[in-house]
Amino acid sequence: MADSKIENSSKREFLQFSGKAGLSTMVATAAGVNLGLVDLVHAQPGKKVTPFRFAVISDSHLYSFKDHKFDTQLMDAIEQVNNLPVKPDFVLYGGDIAQDGTMDQLEKGKKILSNIKSKMVIIPGEHDWYVDMGTGWNGLYGANNPESGQRKGRKEYWSFDHKGVHFVGLNNILVDDFWTAKKMTGVERQTHMSMLEGPWGGLWGIHAEQLAWLKKDLAKQSTDTPIVLFSHAPLWDYYPRWGFGTSDGAEIRAMLARFENTFSFHGHVHQTIYNKIGNMSSVGAMSTSWPWPYPDVELAFPQSRQYRADPGNEADGMGSYYADITPAGINVQHQPFADSLTPWMKNGFKA
Amino acid sequence: MKITFTSRALTALGAVGLTAAFSLGSVQAREPYTQAELDKQQKALWAVSKEGYDLWHGSKPSMSTNGLGCGNCHPDGAAANPQTFPKFIPAFNRVATFREMINWCIENPQAGKALDVTGPEMLAMEAYAFQLHRGKPIEPGLAARQTSPVRVEYGKGFPSKPSMIGKDTRE
Repeated sequence: MADSKIENSSKREFLQFSGKAGLSTMVATAAGVNLGLVDLVHAQPGKKVTPFRFAVISDSHLYSFKDHKFDTQLMDAIEQVNNLPVKPDFVLYGGDIAQDGTMDQLEKGKKILSNIKSKMVIIPGEHDWYVDMGTGWNGLYGANNPESGQRKGRKEYWSFDHKGVHFVGLNNILVDDFWTAKKMTGVERQTHMSMLEGPWGGLWGIHAEQLAWLKKDLAKQSTDTPIVLFSHAPLWDYYPRWGFGTSDGAEIRAMLARFENTFSFHGHVHQTIYNKIGNMSSVGAMSTSWPWPYPDVELAFPQSRQYRADPGNEADGMGSYYADITPAGINVQHQPFADSLTPWMKNGFKA
Repeated sequence: MKITFTSRALTALGAVGLTAAFSLGSVQAREPYTQAELDKQQKALWAVSKEGYDLWHGSKPSMSTNGLGCGNCHPDGAAANPQTFPKFIPAFNRVATFREMINWCIENPQAGKALDVTGPEMLAMEAYAFQLHRGKPIEPGLAARQTSPVRVEYGKGFPSKPSMIGKDTRE
């Protein structure tokens, strides 16, 4: 986005952030403590936070077939979450409940997700969206999400405050219109968008309306409030070829720069992945449908890669996770259906 | 009888010998392919690979009964690693070929009907997968990681019309 106001304010906020972190790093070095810059920022306790847990289920890709294996796999993830000894305060569904975005698939998803015993909030994925540009999805799922100053009838992005943390859900799978000129039907448009390698849509993002809303929404928050963002695709440039990124990710991260603790939780990648960019930690979710290989990209935290899934075990490489929020930070625990986690992730990790 | 070779005669003999060598050579090798011939070959390979791309993305309904195509789990052929075959496949408990692995995926995760191992569709699938792994060293026998060894630039690849990936066959 060529919004000079956003660029100017983000630059100023970034400088403020680096100045603060730089001072802390100097103090830490003087004390002989070798903490990374981002770790140090995250080690600052969120004074206002009351500990609680939330869980994430994502990418179920339900087909229209009756009794499809993905229906069962979604139910398995729901049971994982329902059976947690410490109940989550809420469950986020991270998008791509449907495979082809048709109403029967969205309805099937709603029916299966109704088995979640906790409150659920939800964001859309590209597989849910492009048959009718979110009309069906908003009609079925919008009521799950809080009113938070969005345009009327569009509750695919939202925010709420919970126990000292500010949560934001984004719809970051929006692409520019490539279909009108081609005179495509909704189903054709969805078919194009459903292809991971399909270059027709270009890299998606949250676009102007949501950027403006997000800016307004975050302006109300104080810098010591932990900010948690949910989006379908990562908010950093991982592998755009497969939609592993957000076109306006840099603008979003710039808006977050003034906060002391910011976390991004995303789906779409069908794999465990972790990254830190600036002051934002980013955690990717396994799907409940199928695992994806890691693209040929060097990772800052390669130990966050799960083991190669066994194709002979249909449950391998998939699952859900939960996150415990404490005043000291967020601990993430992946829950694979089968054993595919590296030692680094087995007993949870600090986000 | 004494045979004497004049220098002129030697030259003539040499010319005969050289001609003979050329004649022999033309039986065993030939001139390099012309650009037109290379273009024709590339076009044929590309056509077969494109057919493979379509099959990889669900153009043959009999390959799946649950909507899944090869492309669901192997976008851009990732983690298919054709250059590592033949290799030991735990599901078979023996060394197997890439074509056998393709059929295993069709019959198991996709619950579909296997392709003829020697048929043109299998050739196309193989051609597509290998196209994406050009330049990768052939290392048969190695177990693959769940990582694509191939980076495909954004917007490149096979510009063919997407064909029914994940579409319900009943539609």
